[in-house]
Amino acid sequence: MEIIDGRKIAAEIREELKQEISKLKEKGVTPGLAAILVGENAASLSYLRSIARGCEKVGMLMETVKLPEDITQEQIESKIGELNQNPKFHGIILQLPLPKHLDTLKVESAILPDKDIDGTNPVNTGKLLLGEETFFPSTPYGVKELLFRSGYSPEGKHVVICGRSNIVGKPLMGMLVQKQKGANATVTICHTGTKDFASITRQADILVAAMGRAKTITANMVKGGAIVIDVGVNQIEDPATGKFKLTGDVDFEAVKDKVGAITPVPGGTGPVTSAMLMTNTVKSAKRYNK
Amino acid sequence: MTKILDGKKLSTEIRDEIKQDILKLKEKGIVPGLAGILVGQNEGSATYVRLKEKAAEALGILTQAVRLSEDASEEQLLKQIDKLNLDSKIHGIFIQLPLPKHINENRALNAILPEKDVDGFHPMNVGKAWLGQEAFLPATPDGIREILTRYGYSNLKDKHAVMVSADNLVGKPMASILIQENVGVNVTLCHPATPNLSDYTRQADILVVSVNKARFITADMVKEGVIAIDFGANYIENPADKTKRKLVGDIDFEKVKEKAEAITPVPGGVGPMTITMLLCSTVKAAKIMSRSRL
Repeated sequence: MEIIDGRKIAAEIREELKQEISKLKEKGVTPGLAAILVGENAASLSYLRSIARGCEKVGMLMETVKLPEDITQEQIESKIGELNQNPKFHGIILQLPLPKHLDTLKVESAILPDKDIDGTNPVNTGKLLLGEETFFPSTPYGVKELLFRSGYSPEGKHVVICGRSNIVGKPLMGMLVQKQKGANATVTICHTGTKDFASITRQADILVAAMGRAKTITANMVKGGAIVIDVGVNQIEDPATGKFKLTGDVDFEAVKDKVGAITPVPGGTGPVTSAMLMTNTVKSAKRYNK
Repeated sequence: MTKILDGKKLSTEIRDEIKQDILKLKEKGIVPGLAGILVGQNEGSATYVRLKEKAAEALGILTQAVRLSEDASEEQLLKQIDKLNLDSKIHGIFIQLPLPKHINENRALNAILPEKDVDGFHPMNVGKAWLGQEAFLPATPDGIREILTRYGYSNLKDKHAVMVSADNLVGKPMASILIQENVGVNVTLCHPATPNLSDYTRQADILVVSVNKARFITADMVKEGVIAIDFGANYIENPADKTKRKLVGDIDFEKVKEKAEAITPVPGGVGPMTITMLLCSTVKAAKIMSRSRL
């Protein structure tokens, strides 16, 4: 059994990015990422701080645009309009969830598709599904990259994705069914509520858990030798100490001895996700300066 | 008894409903308009576009035929699309595919205003549908959605749908419909080269096939009680009369019928619904556009 080291893979990716960025800088271009945060969410702030650290390490510009909790729809759209026009930024991301009075869909659609490096604008989702050139959302892109770099190609395999969210499950399915290198898989997407859930997960050559429910995938739900990718990030309380601990959607301890390879939480898909955000920003900067 | 999902009959019913809808719209001064673009002389395409236009006219939809010669440039085509995008009498635009090789198909399809893209091929509509938002769907999968609903298969929770097709015309848009939270179906997208294909097809409660191989899916590849949907249209030699060809689907209809709970025939299943759903979408576009204008 192999534990797939997401931190190591992310470091590899960042190292490659560093090279590309220094080449861009020779041409006077510094890739720039703007992150929009509405209100004061501690978890979001700490996430964005870690992205900022990563960007700094590779030589990218990153700015968090903090907007007040009571911002109006019109104001946030006009702020996004400014960022769309600002040549400093090649990528714009929006931290979710937004306060309830804002229309998330409309806000997401306001981001210029060419700067929508997290692929949330429906037009980019459509291009992804159709197999046209676009930005892959960073989490599913990270899953694909993780598989590729650790030598587990999904080609010809049965990939089972648990969870059909718009940010992970659906785009990942769209990416893996394409007739392209690193894809070309038979893909099943299923959700926890269905009665055949376990009988489907047991068929997976590659199992991706992205339901957002701690330790839901147990040992009897995986096939021996399967490759298990855990996208879950759940804070659960340790009854002994009362402290919170980060846990995936897979019962790691129970599953690890049965499978061929598995990603841990933390240290699996998470670090790769932020590396892909940077990858997409650099890709966008290159496009803008062709 | 196996239910034969009769697309021809349903299609007639739906067209009657559309007619009534259009009459009501006309009372408000709105006439739905559909423009069809055909580039080149392909006989099959020309006939098909004519069929669409005739069907539209029969229901009271205004049609506009745009014909460009085989050697028309991409720029000329894009100009025509632009004109139709701006024309307030036109609510729906379709381009008959395939286009001549010197024209980039994506660029042409992406030039249609998403609000007028009644074929649902624009990435904006494809993306919205995938994300579970209101959007235009490609006519054939949309027809299947309608068939399933009208035959009482609207609660599909816990079912496993298997598509033998992962293409942009059938597999992906069908998945787009079935994958959504409120439908609650587990969805598998296979491609024709999927290893051990029958392992998947045998699990299907709903089996959707589009491979264009005559009678590719045999009875041993399906489970008892399957709902079988056949997108295939293959001409084979007619054993009774060698001078005539026979239209058959991708599913071995006679044999699979014995095991299925419901099945679409070929011809008379999915096919007749296609034009009908295009007309439905045109009326929907007219309604949405006139609402936003009021």
